[in-house]
Amino acid sequence: MQTTQTLGKNGMVAPSVSIETRYKHQIGLMLISPWLIGLVVFKLVPIIASLVLSFTDFHLLTPQQTRFNGLGNYEFVFTDVKAGAVFVKTIQLAMIVIPLQTFASIFIAALLNNKDLLMKNTMRTLFFLPSIIPSFAAALMWSGFVNPSTGWLTRLLLSPFGLEGLNLFSSRDTTGALFILSSLWTAGPGILIMMGSMQGIAPEIYEAAWIDGAGPVTRFFKMTIPLISPAIFFSLILNLTAVFGGAILMDRGNTFRGTFSSYDGYVNYVLFDLFQMGYASGLAWVFFVFVIAVVLILFRTSRRWVYFPERD
Amino acid sequence: MMQSPVHPPFDLKRFLRILPCNLFAWILLALYLAPVLFMINTAMMPTEQLGDKSAPLYPSRITPYEYQGRQYRIYNVPAEDGMKQWALINPGLEMSQFIDPQDPEAGLIEWNGNWRSLTGVYEPYFEWENFTVLFKSLPFTQMLGNTFFLILAGEVAVLMSSIIVAYGFARFSLPGGNLLFYLMIATILIPEKITFIPTFFLYVGVLDWRGTVLPVLLHLFFGNAVYIFLLRQNFKSLPIDLEEAGMIDGAGPLRRLFYIVLPQSWPVVITVSLLHFFYAWNETRLASLYLGTNPELMPVSFGVQNYQSLISIDNVIDASTVIVLIIPVIVLLFAQKYFMQGLVITGTER
Repeated sequence: MQTTQTLGKNGMVAPSVSIETRYKHQIGLMLISPWLIGLVVFKLVPIIASLVLSFTDFHLLTPQQTRFNGLGNYEFVFTDVKAGAVFVKTIQLAMIVIPLQTFASIFIAALLNNKDLLMKNTMRTLFFLPSIIPSFAAALMWSGFVNPSTGWLTRLLLSPFGLEGLNLFSSRDTTGALFILSSLWTAGPGILIMMGSMQGIAPEIYEAAWIDGAGPVTRFFKMTIPLISPAIFFSLILNLTAVFGGAILMDRGNTFRGTFSSYDGYVNYVLFDLFQMGYASGLAWVFFVFVIAVVLILFRTSRRWVYFPERD
Repeated sequence: MMQSPVHPPFDLKRFLRILPCNLFAWILLALYLAPVLFMINTAMMPTEQLGDKSAPLYPSRITPYEYQGRQYRIYNVPAEDGMKQWALINPGLEMSQFIDPQDPEAGLIEWNGNWRSLTGVYEPYFEWENFTVLFKSLPFTQMLGNTFFLILAGEVAVLMSSIIVAYGFARFSLPGGNLLFYLMIATILIPEKITFIPTFFLYVGVLDWRGTVLPVLLHLFFGNAVYIFLLRQNFKSLPIDLEEAGMIDGAGPLRRLFYIVLPQSWPVVITVSLLHFFYAWNETRLASLYLGTNPELMPVSFGVQNYQSLISIDNVIDASTVIVLIIPVIVLLFAQKYFMQGLVITGTER
């Protein structure tokens, strides 16, 4: 770990022994050219295309009759009651899921880094294991587990204490609660990010605090948390984009229909049931702009709460 | 296990100190993984047990008893002289007839009461048919072959491109400094829907690639931002001396990459290939759109998911999920050392 860090700080670039910068630029560009081509073909062109589409009434079955309708789609997004409802619901879920995932991954990472823990590698793997379970399977498992009459939640955990009534899954619409529960299972990559960050903290810092009389709780909240704040920030951004339908470190392959995010689900409905690609693009763009705004705000506020070690 | 080749004498003080932490971790883990265990458990249950509330939690059935060539079931019967375990021959709502398996020669025993009030005598029983029915109703070998083809082709494509691109980002200065690298990180945050709609139209409406593997594989030849990031962080952390020596000896960039850098980077390469393996194994989204119309190309996870939407019995659904999960779990357990190492190091680098 030590060597990695010192090396990382040097900002290593191959020393220009006898090669000119331009030549190096050329080699560099050649090496990254697959990604550059991919960027243009699979990101930039589709982004512009979907932006253009969002100003049209493009319909999958009648592409010839496509006409520009100006801001019509966007006006419709903001007056569409269904879009508003799923938007609010998605944000509500995100407000619960993201903090929950973040706290869970910090907590489990701290536990897995505890010096008293035996069989660390096995424990880490087992805590990571749910992250490779495809989300359709995860949803099945959780809904079976919390089933009020046959699930283990009632039969194994609540009944022995006479607490059957605590099973919240017996009455209301439970998709939201199920989503929250199974989102805990996507904490795996977050746990690893936090764990790596915690292992990067020099032991001397803790020793100094220990000598100064700081207890374990103080050390955790006053030292560990600030020192791993870059990792928290990083996983916060990842979780945020994952909830809003971005690519994630571990894509667990949900289908378009099996998606849990209500907004995504609505876009899919417009796309695959109504075939209104123009309107779907408009919906997607509204959400995209919203996600960008949230990410920018996070970056803005990050200076206040994220500890960035001095560079150079 | 490796740390203590010599067994130290049992240290009670140490044991008591580390006990709470370990106990807590195992309880938490049990709760965390409980739904997985629940699913495996349900997968082995006979269908009759699913709605039976008096049945034990483990897979079981009511003990059968053969009498005069026919199968009957054994119930707990409250007789005059205590609880008896008798086989139910003629069920009735007011009066039922039983046979005592201990003494079948004694003939039918009459008991007054509703047989539905009785609880069965259960014995552990695993219904393997839940698993085999999947192999009978799906072309499983073919689907497995399809999945492995998609994984293999995808691995080669995405590893080659990502490794080369990552090396470019790690060791060569680019016009605009780190700007292109930050741009790459930023592409991770683009919601899939934005790029998906035009791409979908292009593949399906213009190129008519539905029912071919092209839409599923093509983009992998251009690298994956997350993998490039992980690989680049690792390449940057390697000492540069050997590469310099190689450069002086006249080795070109690709030669240095494949002969000097890669041999030092196995953990992260394994990590990335595992990440892609898990992704490709579980991939159902693109498969459902582009491969769904062609049954010959259907991969395992999509085929099973499709199958699950057609049946409604929990134990069979769970058994098929177990079958889908078993290979990635085995792979994860075997590769855990490299996998954890590769990902954790990247976390440090950030």
